[in-house]
Amino acid sequence: MEATICHLTPYNALSPPSAEAGFRCGRTGMKIAVWAAGLALLAPLAASAQTAAELASGETSSVLTYGMGYHQQRYSPLEQINKNTVKRLVPVWNYSFDDNRSEESQPLVYKGVIYVTTHNATMAVDARTGNQIWKTKVNYAAATPRIVCCGIINRGAAIFDGKLFRTTLDANVIALDAKSGKELWRQNAGDIKLGYSMTMAPLVAAGVVVTGVSGAEFGTRGYIDGWEAETGNHLWRTYTVPGPGEPGHDTWAGDTWKYGGGTTWITGSFDPQLNTVYWGTGNPAPFNTAVRPGDNLHTCSVLALDPQTGSIKWHFQFSPNSPFDYDSVAEMLLATIEVNGVPTKVILHADRNGFFYVLDRTNGKLIGANPYVQMNWASGIDLETGRPIETDVARKARAGELVTVWPSILGGKNWPPMSYNPRTGLAYANTLNFASNYQAVPADYKAGQWYLGMDMAAGWTFPDGPRGYLKAIDPMTGKSKWEAPSDLPRFSGTMTTAGGLVFTGGYDGELQAFDADTGDKLWKFKTGSGIEGQPITWEQDGVQYVAVTTGLGGVYTLFSGDTRLASVPAGGSLWAFALAPQ
Amino acid sequence: MTRDLGIFAGVILTVAVLSAATLTDVPAAEDAPRSAVLQAQTEAQRIAAGKRLYVQNCMHCHGLNMVNPGNVTFDLREFPRDEKARFVESVTRGKNNMPPWRDVLSADEIDALWAYVRAGGQS
Ligand code: HEC
Repeated sequence: MEATICHLTPYNALSPPSAEAGFRCGRTGMKIAVWAAGLALLAPLAASAQTAAELASGETSSVLTYGMGYHQQRYSPLEQINKNTVKRLVPVWNYSFDDNRSEESQPLVYKGVIYVTTHNATMAVDARTGNQIWKTKVNYAAATPRIVCCGIINRGAAIFDGKLFRTTLDANVIALDAKSGKELWRQNAGDIKLGYSMTMAPLVAAGVVVTGVSGAEFGTRGYIDGWEAETGNHLWRTYTVPGPGEPGHDTWAGDTWKYGGGTTWITGSFDPQLNTVYWGTGNPAPFNTAVRPGDNLHTCSVLALDPQTGSIKWHFQFSPNSPFDYDSVAEMLLATIEVNGVPTKVILHADRNGFFYVLDRTNGKLIGANPYVQMNWASGIDLETGRPIETDVARKARAGELVTVWPSILGGKNWPPMSYNPRTGLAYANTLNFASNYQAVPADYKAGQWYLGMDMAAGWTFPDGPRGYLKAIDPMTGKSKWEAPSDLPRFSGTMTTAGGLVFTGGYDGELQAFDADTGDKLWKFKTGSGIEGQPITWEQDGVQYVAVTTGLGGVYTLFSGDTRLASVPAGGSLWAFALAPQ
Repeated sequence: MTRDLGIFAGVILTVAVLSAATLTDVPAAEDAPRSAVLQAQTEAQRIAAGKRLYVQNCMHCHGLNMVNPGNVTFDLREFPRDEKARFVESVTRGKNNMPPWRDVLSADEIDALWAYVRAGGQS
């Protein structure tokens, strides 16, 4: 086994801040030099609290942000667990959440402590032993879940300056003391009576706690908030759906903007050098397009934001006037890839609409967009305008006819995040392979009630065979280098490593490791419930760990009617793995 | 939410009259599912009205046509058909992770939901 410099560096070793610092921790002498320089420069700052520089670093003893780095590549330079050694990967402990809902939280790791969330608790756990250090309950009114569309969940915390930040189902943002779990501040960010809820992990960018909201299925109007980390003071709110006088307001008819959706329920990414946050926005409300003629900015879009002010630097809309619930909230993954031979700072985004996008993140210009799943609503993307070239399926759907649309309203890929491995140049995504039977119906807005405008009872069209594929996607073509099919679609995040592996989970409860180059399944372990979580890895005292939450109950469990899941017990917990001695 | 919105046309007056007579807190708006409940004369109409309420309020936890794996949420297809009182109690007041509905649904509406559930999610 090849030791890397990463294993030898102390906890607080830091590489220079960069959106993509993650893969600088490697083997070459040059990279070691960069690493050491970063260490010398930043060590004094890293005494006990998490600094902005730490959050931006790619150091491997911690997992400090949603997405394993501001870039959200979910890539680790660690390689103790690799293609050869992964067969020795064994569980080292299991920690019960005492909860039987869906567990979608991405754990964070800092100085040997794991911080993890459920819908009703925040927990600190000793990373080596699995012992609970503290657990702080989250209380919300029993009526709250009435307006939570797609699973009673939470997706994780953010850490900064000795504090943990998280959101709650009843739309509060709270800060906890990371040492004790004591609540430090709490701010309300939305009214559950209007259908607002929160499930996403906050982002701390340039010292500002940034949060989004859920609730487009209830006719809410989406926004993103900035909060002062120390006090919780509200700094700014940027509505995704522009109000009167704001640019884009004219893409809405009459009052429709007030209930226009465009919620912001997945964490944005951040480029510290460009000082820009990239945040995806959700579907317009209701689904029925007859209610809301126009492009409906900025739904189904990405917004480039200034984290200090929330002002919009640029936007790009993936699906104008979408009928099909094609949220664009999923990760805006930041990478540098060669475009026509030139290393280019891009966003990689596998949209629910079935196209894999490459955007220039300095200006929002479209570089490429290609299908990565079966689709029939559009035949391509016009690279000049960025607009989809729609087919009859979309036109008929808009006219109120019953259509079978690929991908389904759950998308070519739903929220579970993909990863990107700079060594293979591939994005690893859990994709979905089924269609919706779609028909628009009238929608009446009533505060706090479903505002869908679609006949949900029309259901799905499922193919025989696999309903999902883990795909290794070439960003520039959308084509797969390999595909790993699965009868039950996978709804777990993916994570990839310099050890040449891709980790992900299945609804059957298996945590799985694939060869990143070939897609061969090299390892699996049954976790006891279905995995909808987000695998992470870190190293501590020379040992590389992998952790993931297990526990089914998310959107597919609830809406698919897939009774095969009846054989998968509920029950949330956190598993940690490491290599057994040889 | 469903395709048969026609039946509520012209029943606003009926709603206004009848809603005064319902038992629990009545939501103010004359929305479509509610009108269908009040119009329902036959069992089939009640079930259809219940289905609309189900899609509006319950489906996102109990599944399309009441089909769900039953491990995270109660499988309503398994709910005992002779335990109406328990149904009304649980839906009204909530139970564990099941939210209460008394401030949203009237007794009539819970009755219609019961008709739909008892019919096994068919309509
Ligand atoms: C937020 C999710 C959610 C929603 C919305 C919801 N339920 Fe439930 N329901 C549950 C859960 C979870 C249980 C299991 C409760 C338990 O026993 O722990 C349950 C249980 C039940 C039960 C069984 C209670 C018993 O006595 O054992 C009935 C009946 C029921 N729900 C009816 C409904 C109806 C009717 C609606 C719509 C008006 C509805 N539910 C909406 C989550 C939900």
